[in-house]
Amino acid sequence: MSAAGVTSLSPPTPPSDFYAAAEKIYPRETRGRFARLRQAAVVVLLGLFYGVAWLQWNDHQALLFDLPARKFHVFGLTLWPQDFLYLALLLIIAALSLFFVTALAGRLWCGYACPQTVWTELFIWIEQWTEGPRARRMKLDRGPWTAAKIVRKGGKQLLWVALAAWTGFTFVGYFIPIRALGAQIGSLSVAPWATFWMFLYSLATYGNAGFLREQVCKYMCPYARFQSAMFDKDTLIISYDEQRGEPRGARRRGTAARPQGLGDCIACTLCVQVCPTGIDIRQGLQYECIACGACIDACDDVMDKMGSPRGLIRYTTDNALHGRAAHVVRPRMLVYGVLLSAGVGVLLFSLFTRTPLILDVIRDRNALYREVPGERIENAYTLKVINLDDRPHSYRLAVSGMSRLELVAPLAPIGAAPGTVSTISARLQAPAAIAGGVHRITLSLTAVDAPRIAVHEKARFIGPES
Amino acid sequence: MSANAEPPPVSRRSQRALDVALVLWPAFLAACVATLLFFAAVDPALLRDAGPRWFDGLDREAGYALGFLFFWAVGAVASTLSVYLVRTAQHRSRCAAPRSGPP
Repeated sequence: MSAAGVTSLSPPTPPSDFYAAAEKIYPRETRGRFARLRQAAVVVLLGLFYGVAWLQWNDHQALLFDLPARKFHVFGLTLWPQDFLYLALLLIIAALSLFFVTALAGRLWCGYACPQTVWTELFIWIEQWTEGPRARRMKLDRGPWTAAKIVRKGGKQLLWVALAAWTGFTFVGYFIPIRALGAQIGSLSVAPWATFWMFLYSLATYGNAGFLREQVCKYMCPYARFQSAMFDKDTLIISYDEQRGEPRGARRRGTAARPQGLGDCIACTLCVQVCPTGIDIRQGLQYECIACGACIDACDDVMDKMGSPRGLIRYTTDNALHGRAAHVVRPRMLVYGVLLSAGVGVLLFSLFTRTPLILDVIRDRNALYREVPGERIENAYTLKVINLDDRPHSYRLAVSGMSRLELVAPLAPIGAAPGTVSTISARLQAPAAIAGGVHRITLSLTAVDAPRIAVHEKARFIGPES
Repeated sequence: MSANAEPPPVSRRSQRALDVALVLWPAFLAACVATLLFFAAVDPALLRDAGPRWFDGLDREAGYALGFLFFWAVGAVASTLSVYLVRTAQHRSRCAAPRSGPP
């Protein structure tokens, strides 16, 4: 390192001389195809989030990750900690879907489905409703604190806080039955930890969607940094057509650009004004771009007014933009696609063939076998019976795999409450004359009231060496 | 002040704020994953029964929350060490040459 470089850095930097605070971005409202698409996504996704919590299924909440009781209700299905495999599979599928969609169509997730985008959009609607469109908001922020400003700003904050609080309540309502939680709030008897989580999630919603906004995408989101690893030259991106647009410059409406030595871009900067992350798409693809399409809507509108064709800024691919052939099917897509289909296939198969019963057979550790009166050999086992159904069952035990092998205990059906582990001692006997050596046997457990709930577990029956 | 400083220096206060965010945010993400995996396998009620006396009055919800805060704290310690090591290494390399004049 050079001495000049060292000395230039070593004096303490005067505070705030170099520090540029993140400039507040006032995204301009847009109208058009992609704005409608995002509005639809907001309505559908947030509608699901706020609505599904209130759905009932039989006698319980349709979707409830009941942490206090350690069981998950997913509509008709009840999952226990033993079903962790499904959760793991679901997370793997979610990750693979994200890779697949990103490679195919770029940051669709960021632009339309990410909770950060969706809630920010909702918060901006409130902001527009209370403080007006972009120019009015900027003027309001510059102006003095008049009564009207206090009313507008106060109203916005009030609505934001109310929405954030409702969001926190709904979020916790997926983990603690939401109707009971509502009643607890009504009678001010909410458990302290439920209050803590509601407060935390409300605060996160308020902070992320109200204040941090694009800074979450720019500084906090890991996906924004590594999504480019899934990109190639055939990935759908939002791009400014430089060849068509440059040199940019103002011209009269309805006049052709080329004869005046200009490109189609009229340098109106609307694409910059509408950008929720405050970038200029005309400078090329940037990692801050969340692919929301607001600039496309704005530019299409301008091109319509200018009498030029749409698509100066458009969804395209690097290959298409440079006049090369575009490929939808490519090795990357095939690999992600195959992995994704495999994951979904395994999940569906295991869900549909899931038996809500687990049998663990543990051989008696103290003795290999026991000689009992009547020239018989007895083996003892400990059975762990786990009922994964959402109702109680009785199960009947049976043995097979060895002739004249006899179940001595338990002969009565084994009862098990939902979600519980029952530990049972089982004893099997066989005549000594045929019991010598190791025999492979099968223990079967079948629900008395529902024969389709059955499991078969392999075990060994051991007799004296003959 | 020459313009060859790379990256551009920031004020101490914003540097401190950035460090705090760099410590807490990744630790938060890691704590979410750790809580999910850990409590999928371990019932907090079992931990309470096996744990020290002061665990006694805690219910499962408290277990999840304390577990989450614990994982967050551990993650934050790891992040703090990372940030500390990175920052002090830069500091030393920058100050390796003898300084001339008053600071």
